[in-house]
Amino acid sequence: MRVNWKPFVLSLAVLLILFPFVYLVFLSLASEWRFPEVWPSYLGLKNWVTVFGSETGLLRSFFSSLLISLSVAVFSTASGFMISKAVFYHPKKRTLTLLAYFPYILAPVVFAACLSFFFLKMGLFGNMTGVVVAQFIIAFPYALLFFSSFWNEKVKSYEDLVATLGGNKWQTYTKVVLPLAKGLLMICFFQTFLISWFEYGLTSIIGIGKVQTLTIKVFMFIKEANYYYGALSCCLLIFPPVVLLYFNKRYVFKKLV
Amino acid sequence: MKTKKPNIGIVLFVAIGVVPFAAAFVYALLYSFGIIGVANQGFTLRFWESVLASGTFFKSLGYSVVIALVAVSLSVGGALWVTLKFRRQLEKRILSFVIYLPLAIPGIVTGFFTFQLFSKGGFFARISHKLGFITEASQFPDLVNDGLAVGIILSFITMVMPFFVLLFLNVYKNERIEELSILAQSLGANSRQVVHCVFLPILIRKTWVLIILYFIFLLGAYEVPLILGQESPQMLSVLIIQEIKQYDLDKISEGYVVAVLYTLLVSVAALALFLPKRKRAYAS
Amino acid sequence: MRKINYILFGLLLGTILLSCGEKASKNDERLKTATWESIASEARGTTVNFMMWQGSTAINDYINNYVVPSVKEKYNIDLQISGGQGPEIVQLVMGEKQADIEEGQVDMVWINGETFFQLRKINGLWGPFVEQLPNAALINFEDSFISTDFQQPINGMEAPWSINQFAIVYDYKKVPNPPKNIPELENFIKEHPGTFTISNDFTGMTLLKSLLAELGGSPNALNGPFDEKKYKELSEKLWKFINDNKRYFWKEGRTFPKEQSKMHQLYANGELLIAYGFSEGGIEDKVLNGLYPKTTKGYAWENGTIRNSNYLGILYNAPQKAGAMQVINFLLSPEAQFKKADANGMDSNTVLAMDKLELEWKDKFLEARKRQYGPILEELEANAIAEPAPEYMIRLYEDFRKKVIEN
Repeated sequence: MRVNWKPFVLSLAVLLILFPFVYLVFLSLASEWRFPEVWPSYLGLKNWVTVFGSETGLLRSFFSSLLISLSVAVFSTASGFMISKAVFYHPKKRTLTLLAYFPYILAPVVFAACLSFFFLKMGLFGNMTGVVVAQFIIAFPYALLFFSSFWNEKVKSYEDLVATLGGNKWQTYTKVVLPLAKGLLMICFFQTFLISWFEYGLTSIIGIGKVQTLTIKVFMFIKEANYYYGALSCCLLIFPPVVLLYFNKRYVFKKLV
Repeated sequence: MKTKKPNIGIVLFVAIGVVPFAAAFVYALLYSFGIIGVANQGFTLRFWESVLASGTFFKSLGYSVVIALVAVSLSVGGALWVTLKFRRQLEKRILSFVIYLPLAIPGIVTGFFTFQLFSKGGFFARISHKLGFITEASQFPDLVNDGLAVGIILSFITMVMPFFVLLFLNVYKNERIEELSILAQSLGANSRQVVHCVFLPILIRKTWVLIILYFIFLLGAYEVPLILGQESPQMLSVLIIQEIKQYDLDKISEGYVVAVLYTLLVSVAALALFLPKRKRAYAS
Repeated sequence: MRKINYILFGLLLGTILLSCGEKASKNDERLKTATWESIASEARGTTVNFMMWQGSTAINDYINNYVVPSVKEKYNIDLQISGGQGPEIVQLVMGEKQADIEEGQVDMVWINGETFFQLRKINGLWGPFVEQLPNAALINFEDSFISTDFQQPINGMEAPWSINQFAIVYDYKKVPNPPKNIPELENFIKEHPGTFTISNDFTGMTLLKSLLAELGGSPNALNGPFDEKKYKELSEKLWKFINDNKRYFWKEGRTFPKEQSKMHQLYANGELLIAYGFSEGGIEDKVLNGLYPKTTKGYAWENGTIRNSNYLGILYNAPQKAGAMQVINFLLSPEAQFKKADANGMDSNTVLAMDKLELEWKDKFLEARKRQYGPILEELEANAIAEPAPEYMIRLYEDFRKKVIEN
């Protein structure tokens, strides 16, 4: 009789996927966990209490990350959607698309290192606005390219149809285009939020340590070898996307990228 | 009204999407020739010569290419296998959510986590110690900050493979590979032939642009090699930032030389990928 | 759609313009001769940006939970901390110079010798200002380890904040007789392969300076301005020593830890038997935190380890120079220095001269909580050597990468 091995592999895969989440939470509860002990000598809420009770600024980082990422997601999704229409209805759309790919595939940290002069010049260095603008610049091409498939002949003929039937621009948008694009807009919002939420290199350069997002904190803790606080900030970093994913999944799943 | 509308969109596009890139490139170019920069004294080819002569750039490039190549190949291979074997199970309720979870983990956390698991004082080293495989931390094999970049590749795979699984599942559904496979089978193809003549060709053809794109992303990855890499050779982004932030102010321009070379490289890749007329599928 | 585009564009432009608001630079020269009263009154109510290394919980705790509330209460100054050390500070200043920014991002910085050197090279510091500070009168400027930074007289361009010495760290249970000179080190790593390494950062380079001085034959071998010939000759020997014995280093010398914190972890895990660091080895808080075993001790190299001070400086384009002066003056007060010296806290040695202090403070300092594990500064005094000229450090960095790591 042949043993069906698939359930075992699948269970193993599920365990592997869940393991990081569990382990990071566990590590954030631990303290004084020296090699070669397999179990930490302290396990409890100490780290969480210290971090939330005092000044390490992790909570503040959490909220500034949230603010930055929401702004970036709103700006880039909205502008990406609007501008992509102009680009993909344009006769030269192939050249324009190509241009959008350059910033898209360049490593953000290198991009930031070469852009920092201009940010300094504009007074956008070391403040939150600057970080939002910089992240927007890298999230925008993503959003733009994301909508490339949306502006097709079908949508165009819908728009024309509304116009023919006497609808105005506003109606075209609210009644036809936006409902059609709703799912994509949600996914794009989610993805651009994540691009910003996960960004480290570019933020570290444009924010010069004055804008301390969660990723900056994680890195700071790694550098000072404070792995318990590091794990704690990792938890703060990964659970909001999980929640978002839970709500957003059906959209992502239906019309994945 | 009709004529003005697209223009402002295009203007905005250029302002946000093109100008920053161009400005950054020109800045790096000028810096690399010593034309700008507080510690520089004007035009010189010195920095280009020294970068090209030292070989650090080429070593780093080769190193990055190999790592990205290995990671992408393994990820795509693994994802194809998972899709082929498990697509039905992965559509079930809980699993269909669980396979999205890896998307919630950023590179910086993956790097941190990999380090926690695989370093010589990490989780697996402790378990090995408990089980008596090793008696001292130093006996545990080199898996992070190591010469073969095992840690980096492992992290890349855990980041990229889940994405490709989701992608392939989606393409599988959209391209009706299920139906095509049944059709092929009813026409007499065996399961091997179905895989080789239907499943693989369709999936790869529909996604190869994305596969190359991911290769380029990994080529420029920063956080993971920063945490898990070794001191030499380093991956490109890490090398560039290290050179730009170094103590010797007279050598900062060399960092920009590497930045220019890297930018040129990915730009050429973009040109080669997206200039030829072709229908792109699933490329955004 | 057009409307929305305009709004978007307007928003973007608006944010750019808003953050552009640059004010005309004030006449800061005046501050160099002004009375302290007028400086203090100008400092009141300002927001001061302090860029410092934030890599230690104890330091962050001292700054965030003591200094920030104190200056707020005493002087109504909002002290904002941002993370960044040597190269980041220099990068920032270079960038701002290049972009002609008159009102910089940062007012005051925590630096040491090679950053001081680099900042002076690009005229990035503002001063001299130290003599203006009332508490500067209490500083022990007679100590050349305080008044000279990497062979450069500080000339009032930076204010000493704390003084410390580099120490070697070991576990006396595991290593009863740790090496104290290069031949002993060579024997030691041959006996215990894989238990020693050099971190590719400030800390590792400082160890290399000590070794370089030893190869030069005396604690004072590297004193004076940078000497190319001497460097070439001594460093040649140093690289030969390292490369000849590389295979006995951690990971057979194929790679080196990027940061001291990583090296300290390796020591904590027992992979390394010997570590080292500033602040007399940084032992106390790591033992108290449970990172290091309680059997950890520290000592100085036979030919000496580097003793240096770290400093506070004001940037040339600091928008709040008066505020920064007030904060620095507070950091030099007996109160703040005493708090900083607490062995269970930041645990760093004061730069104040005991004989200049009021009796009350002197007693307090003498009775302050002592270290239980790490050595105290006085113990290492006999083996203290001064920082050589900054060029040595910069060259060591470069050559260590080229001749050891990439070799």
